[in-house]
Amino acid sequence: MKSKQSWLNARISNLRAKTETEQQRLERLKQEVLGEGEAASRPTRRSFLTRLGFGATLLALAGQAYAFLRSLKPNVLYEAPQRFKVGTPDQFGEGGKFLEDKRLFVFRQGKTFYAISASCTHLGCTVKMEKLNQPKKVKTRQREFEEQYEFHCPCHGSKYYGDGTNYAGPAPRPLDYFKLELAAEDGQLIVDMEQKVGQDFRLTV
Amino acid sequence: MAARKSTWEKITWTWQPASEREAGDSIVRNFLLHWFPAKVARESLSWGYSFWLGTVSAVLFLILTITGGVLMFLYVPSVERAYLSVKDLEFTVSFGWFLRGLHRIGAHLMVAFVFVHMVRVFLTGAYKNGTATQQNRPLNWVIGVVLLLATLLLSFTGYLLPWDQLAYWAITVGTNIASAAPVVGEAMRFILLGGNTIEQGTLIRFYVLHCFFLPLLVLALFSYHMWRVRKDGGLACVDKQALDQKREKVVPSKSKTYSLLGIASGASVHVETSLVDEVQHTVPSSPTLTRRLALVTMVTLALSSVLTLLFHAPLEAAANPAVTPNPAKAPWYFLWLQELVTITTFTVGGYTINGALIGGIIIPGLLVAAAIAWPYFDKSSVRSVGVWFAPERRKQNLIFLLVVAGILLFTIIGTYLRGPYWNWYWPWQSWPVMPRKF
Repeated sequence: MKSKQSWLNARISNLRAKTETEQQRLERLKQEVLGEGEAASRPTRRSFLTRLGFGATLLALAGQAYAFLRSLKPNVLYEAPQRFKVGTPDQFGEGGKFLEDKRLFVFRQGKTFYAISASCTHLGCTVKMEKLNQPKKVKTRQREFEEQYEFHCPCHGSKYYGDGTNYAGPAPRPLDYFKLELAAEDGQLIVDMEQKVGQDFRLTV
Repeated sequence: MAARKSTWEKITWTWQPASEREAGDSIVRNFLLHWFPAKVARESLSWGYSFWLGTVSAVLFLILTITGGVLMFLYVPSVERAYLSVKDLEFTVSFGWFLRGLHRIGAHLMVAFVFVHMVRVFLTGAYKNGTATQQNRPLNWVIGVVLLLATLLLSFTGYLLPWDQLAYWAITVGTNIASAAPVVGEAMRFILLGGNTIEQGTLIRFYVLHCFFLPLLVLALFSYHMWRVRKDGGLACVDKQALDQKREKVVPSKSKTYSLLGIASGASVHVETSLVDEVQHTVPSSPTLTRRLALVTMVTLALSSVLTLLFHAPLEAAANPAVTPNPAKAPWYFLWLQELVTITTFTVGGYTINGALIGGIIIPGLLVAAAIAWPYFDKSSVRSVGVWFAPERRKQNLIFLLVVAGILLFTIIGTYLRGPYWNWYWPWQSWPVMPRKF
């Protein structure tokens, strides 16, 4: 008799479950499992612990992801210094000298010195210094001068006048000028590639 | 009659099934064939519809994986030794020149075939859903676009590894384009280079991207790509065939379903077993599809091997930061981008916008965005799915072909009409002899 009763009970609850619509079932499941829904706006212990668990997992994953990504950004760089000595002024003859490993032109005009970057301002290829067969009269920056050479870039065809002003091709701005100093201790020229200066910069020795 | 089978027959029977039942069984049992349906529409096997371009791309990826795996034993990703180890491959390792050549030719072919595969899918409207349920071809098109980008990135990271002049200047230009991106550009360049200058950190980063992360991405996406083809009911031409079949008023074969899900996803209690009439239009995947697959694999391998013998893989001078080669040219599939970054510098007022931003980031970005969004804005009818040059899609196809033609035109200009200092030279003009160094 007892077993028949329990069988009936089970059957009834089974039927009741079947008459539930999907929506109701979802709602009931939400309440049971997550403690969500209209009836359970107050968090139960179960829902609180579930959220805590998921939250902690997400936080742990985020922490791991941050650690992985952060490690890709170097904290120490073993790169060559950007401020360096290039020799005494008397080692430079009149005109331009290309320092290969620094990608740098150092120019001397009598007693004045200036340094121009050989890195094209478009996308960073090394420009070449082209000696002109005959000097060309050029007007840039509201002044006229006679130039003996130009800078041309092999990658995308940018062209610069002798003073570094861009005049053709995709280069967006003139070649960079870097600051020159004289070292107090041994009188060598110091180039500081971190300090850009204007095109009129000249170091008089 | 359960005839006794030799070991050889036990291994090979799934490839040479004796009955329909064995043919179906082979697909279920064989791991390599699990992507395929038991039966495949004859139409989708046609050479003229798909040209098997996707399959060729996949085979090339397989060739690249295998040759690349061997190359990893022989190549040293260090700034001091990278160039020399590639030189060793060329001159001292037995068949090293062939391995490297095959890897390189395979990469070139893969870029070409993935691109042409994309063109084929577009022109046949195969990125559109047909009438079958549960299809999501637009998503598979998007996956395909990402696979194309991954292929290009694999090529880019790959040709940096020999650390020759091509590598060094490509990395210079490439990462400078990245740094032209607004806001995140500089940080992106720093992360890619592993510093401010191109050094050891840069080489190892590109090496790991090339050998691990990008192949992993391609493998995962390719698997999903194939699985989706199966879920979408095969190639798009099958959808076309199904439509034609309905027009013929052929009674589709039906099977009874008793499940709720079966009724929910189909139109009635009777659910069609497949898109096309199985008896008329399909053949067992094994051996029909597998045999063709084997043929395509062999032809692809033969073609790339012959090309490897014909075209020797070049190796430029060792990387030299001081001297940019003149002209410095990207590989052919990036030449259109090189042309773009060259001609897109604009001056607005007193402010000049670098061509790297417009030609290097904005235009390619817009092209990729358009490609991804296109299936979701395409309103052509289901009749144009799986049809070459469907009249209904004439305008779309024309726009797409114009973009493709533009890319080809820029590539041709970059290859044949640009000389030293990226100056314009007609084919009948000879390039001046340049001094190699200042």
